Amino acid sequence: MSFSAILGAWIAAFLTLGIFSYLYRDNPFYKIAEHVFVGVSAAYVAAISFWTQIYPNLFGRLFPKDGPLAFTGLEFDFNHEFNILYLFPMLLGIMMLISVFQQFNWMARWGIAYTVAIAAGLKAFGYLNSNVLNQVKASSVDIFSGSLPLFSLNGDSVFNNIVLVVGTLSALMYFYFSKEQTGNFGRFTRLGIYFLMVSFGASFGFAVMGRISLLVGRFNDLIEYSSADYNYATLGVLVFIIVTLGFWSFQNPERKEN
Amino acid sequence: MKFLEDIILRLGAVDRRVIFVLIGLAVLIPLLTPISLPVRETPTTVKFYDGIDNIPKNSKVLVSFDYGPSTRPEIHPMNVGVLRHMLRNGHQIYISCLWPDGIYMALDALEEITDEVNPDNVSTFDIKEYEDYILLGYRPGAEAVIKGLASDLRKVYTVDANGNFIDDIEMMDGIKNLNDFAYIYSGSAGYPGTFEWVKYGGDPTGVPMSSGTTSVQVNEVIPYVQTGQLIGLLAGMPGAAEYEKLINVPGIAIQGMAAQSFAHIVIVFFIVFGNLAFFLKQRRDRKY
Repeated sequence: MSFSAILGAWIAAFLTLGIFSYLYRDNPFYKIAEHVFVGVSAAYVAAISFWTQIYPNLFGRLFPKDGPLAFTGLEFDFNHEFNILYLFPMLLGIMMLISVFQQFNWMARWGIAYTVAIAAGLKAFGYLNSNVLNQVKASSVDIFSGSLPLFSLNGDSVFNNIVLVVGTLSALMYFYFSKEQTGNFGRFTRLGIYFLMVSFGASFGFAVMGRISLLVGRFNDLIEYSSADYNYATLGVLVFIIVTLGFWSFQNPERKEN
Repeated sequence: MKFLEDIILRLGAVDRRVIFVLIGLAVLIPLLTPISLPVRETPTTVKFYDGIDNIPKNSKVLVSFDYGPSTRPEIHPMNVGVLRHMLRNGHQIYISCLWPDGIYMALDALEEITDEVNPDNVSTFDIKEYEDYILLGYRPGAEAVIKGLASDLRKVYTVDANGNFIDDIEMMDGIKNLNDFAYIYSGSAGYPGTFEWVKYGGDPTGVPMSSGTTSVQVNEVIPYVQTGQLIGLLAGMPGAAEYEKLINVPGIAIQGMAAQSFAHIVIVFFIVFGNLAFFLKQRRDRKY
């Protein structure tokens, strides 16, 4: 096992157990792991975005090899042709960065306005097509089709189609606020709440399952790092954190919450 | 009866740290002493398997690694399984990433597959870069990247992950945009991922697609399976385990299911007793 792999295992074990230590209470190990995570993530995304997007796709198009701006001495060969339109996003990007100076912070609005408009346009089409039209189409089912079985656990059946239609309509009606939800209408919208509650229950179940899966993943790694190949990284870090945390807890007793 | 009520009330007031320890043990013990529990395929997983199995042999397929280390335990086994299944059927795989660390996940998955040997110590998959697969790499921009791929792939990717010009790579001949792929698969842990691929990739181009997602996303993604916008779905670690069973390569997801099941039993136990304790406490408070 190489030195870098062993060092990586020790760091990974320390950061994982540091985060887990929050389950006991907020403490310096958790803070270290949290701050390292935020700092490394921000730096990593900034660096990779520059080298994979700005460098080849922006500079590569504004300063291509033998392009009109070659006289500046800047040449980036990514098989692109010169495209003057790319000055526009570069300018907007610079304007957003200049906004750190208070007297120029109005400049950021242009970039933000452009980004918001593009995102709104893109998302409006996507949502309308995929989430509204296709879903409405799928909800339009033939309830009493003669070809369908009366009941089926999986797939189409008369019963399942009735549940689909009633559930969709009652849940939608619950969000109709122009009529007081009393009488028969109130009973129908109450049914909608039950459908929504079933959906939230399923979401909760899936969320728990997801978190346990992540815990399984971390434990698998910790078990691997506890082997002699990694110089017992997990056990070493665990003992260190428990002893230090014990000492720290005696010095900083937990205050009782009201 | 009062004795039983007292026990339930004590269980309801147990320190949260005790629950954490019990869940930790419920996960740890089955991992240390592997227990084999049966895995039953759900219809969405079978649909997913059939969708990939029905791609005409030797097709060009796009696989997107849209996750990072934080969700690796759920998505990675799916993606490794999908790569295995696709390579078995002789497809050429084009790998893209919408997440910055997706590229490392892809490299890990490829390494896992290339290192795999059969009982005779012969490589299971004799695959070569630029012949069987190409790692296009990560591009920032989320849905804008997918839109770009749908119109002109070469505007988004001028170089691949190794820095080689796309135009010089033979495997890229005939690939202009998403329409040139027979299938799209996204292993997704959130934004950008499955939703964006459906909205800006699969739906506008009509290229069949499927996805593997984290458990948290399943409830929101499943309507796309109902409408046929996705051909099946792998739902979290159980989905990955079911798929491992279908492709007949038991892996880390199947191993993790025992731990998953025991943890669920502990959680259900505490939910039931927590609620019982709540109602009992309410009743006692009313009495006195």
